[in-house]
Amino acid sequence: MSDDPLRSVDLRKTYFTKGTPPVEALAGVTMSVRSGERVALLGRNGAGKTTFLKIASTLLRPTSGQIEVFGHDVSTHPDRARPYIAVVPQEGKPFFHLGPREMIYTYLRARGLSRETSKARTEEAIERMNLTEFADRLCITLSGGQRQRTMVATVIATQAPLLFLDEPTIGMDPFARREVWASLRDLTTKGSTILLTTHYLDEAEALSHRLYIVERGRVLVSGTADDLKRSVGGTLKVSLPEGAPQAETFRSFGETVVDGPSLTIIVHPERLGELMELALARSLTATVGPVTLEEAFLRVVGRNIDED
Amino acid sequence: MRTDPPQALVRPTRPFRGTAAFLWTEVLVQAHESLAMATAMVTQTVLLVFVYILNPGLIGVALIGATLFSSFALGQRVLNEAAYIRIDHKANDLYLAGPMSPEGYFLGMATGILVVYIAPIALLGTLAVVVGHLNVVTSLLLVGLAGLVWLFAASIGYIFSTFFRDNRAIWAYASLFFNVFGVLPPVFYPFGYFPPALQPVALLMPPSAAAALLQSRIGVTALSTGQVELAAVGLVVETLVVFVLAVFWARRTVRGP
Ligand SMILES: Nc1ncnc2c1ncn2[C@@H]1O[C@H](COP(=O)(O)OP(=O)(O)OP(=O)(O)O)[C@@H](O)[C@H]1O
Ligand SMILES: [Mg+2]
Repeated sequence: MSDDPLRSVDLRKTYFTKGTPPVEALAGVTMSVRSGERVALLGRNGAGKTTFLKIASTLLRPTSGQIEVFGHDVSTHPDRARPYIAVVPQEGKPFFHLGPREMIYTYLRARGLSRETSKARTEEAIERMNLTEFADRLCITLSGGQRQRTMVATVIATQAPLLFLDEPTIGMDPFARREVWASLRDLTTKGSTILLTTHYLDEAEALSHRLYIVERGRVLVSGTADDLKRSVGGTLKVSLPEGAPQAETFRSFGETVVDGPSLTIIVHPERLGELMELALARSLTATVGPVTLEEAFLRVVGRNIDED
Repeated sequence: MRTDPPQALVRPTRPFRGTAAFLWTEVLVQAHESLAMATAMVTQTVLLVFVYILNPGLIGVALIGATLFSSFALGQRVLNEAAYIRIDHKANDLYLAGPMSPEGYFLGMATGILVVYIAPIALLGTLAVVVGHLNVVTSLLLVGLAGLVWLFAASIGYIFSTFFRDNRAIWAYASLFFNVFGVLPPVFYPFGYFPPALQPVALLMPPSAAAALLQSRIGVTALSTGQVELAAVGLVVETLVVFVLAVFWARRTVRGP
């Protein structure tokens, strides 16, 4: 295929477990990640994100299809792909009886980095991820979020050409998440490429150049966060807390969602004035905001669920 | 200034890359478990006391057996550790989806555990040498055989660890395997006490094969040349085969089915 950091064509995975029906976790995924990109995989629980990441990171055999890391076929030569990659596994934990500093340093050494490089990168990662205060405390004494930061710091410190991060910021506070974002942006400016999964859609939007939304093992849509938001038919959202009984009146402006007494309408900016006038005429209070990625996600995936 | 992209600097993984680093990791991790180090010696001590009460004259044999058994029992630690860090910490995913070699991971873990537990084993070995008045050659033989038994057990332990999906199942099976094969056959007691019909089997099991060879050297057990050859060749061949298998298996099981 090519020397893109990652490319898959019609990748499929079916899990076979004795005594239960087979699970088709990936039903033909075609995607690519270009050099220096940060790409997010979004999808509901069980959509197949981890399965895709595991296959791409040489940890799971695909049932069929092609997948390549920097031009190396992951199915036939996983050992050739491995030197290029690093992984934050979903639900991974640092060793409890090491401190963050020991964890990061020994991990880099195990990957074959020199003492000096490992030392320098360890200190850099500790500082970057704000681990200084407890860098020498055993991980067993750290909080959940601090442990997760240690995991992410460990992997980020590798500066591997291609990083896979499966829900890297789970359990982190908003400050820590932003530190992760900044570190990941830094890495890509240095030439690394990143594929991550997340359930925080603000994170996906803030961090990634492109997104893939997967559902039941298929890519539903891909593109930038803006593409996705546009695809729901408007970039603004008007909320009328008491508007539900008059939903019909507003249907012509765009997609409407009734939630209890409230009504939400997705509109294009050019029709906003007209809509607000109508709301005013009906004595309805209204708030206007931008459509978020979360709303786009709910609609794209929701439509797909309805169709089945 | 133009810098090379990170992928331009990637070098292929070398066999056994990361062994020393993971050994050190494992030492740091295990060194915190001082209680585990003490409990590691319980079975041996209990058996030594039994033998001493029943027949103090056999304590030299039992000390040799305790040294070999301790080396063998490290396989159980490898099994537990490998399964635990794979299942609970996702260490396989973290370490092996990268340039570290899978065999370095296995061997580093096994040797790390050996380093941490070597002190009590060395103490038992020293006691065996002193109490049994072992000469230099026999003492070196004890060290060499204990080393083979360790490598065999560590390799088996690692291979077995890959079959578990749940830590709870392990506690039961691991101790079963290592206690049955380390305690039942003539490791702590003279080879001649073992039912003659089963003696060839004992000669093919690494802990009892090593014990029989040492017992024959110190004159406690009379082995025919054929039996010595069976025990010695069997031990070396089995250890090598199982070690090579463990290296192969470590590489193969990085990737799930
Ligand atoms: N080892 C397995 N055996 C059988 N089925 C599995 C296995 N692992 C995952 N699955 C199934 O495959 C599907 C995809 O799972 P996967 O872990 O890839 O989802 P995910 O998108 O990462 O979800 P989450 O957001 O919850 O992490 C799910 O239906 C899951 O139940
Ligand atoms: Mg997942």
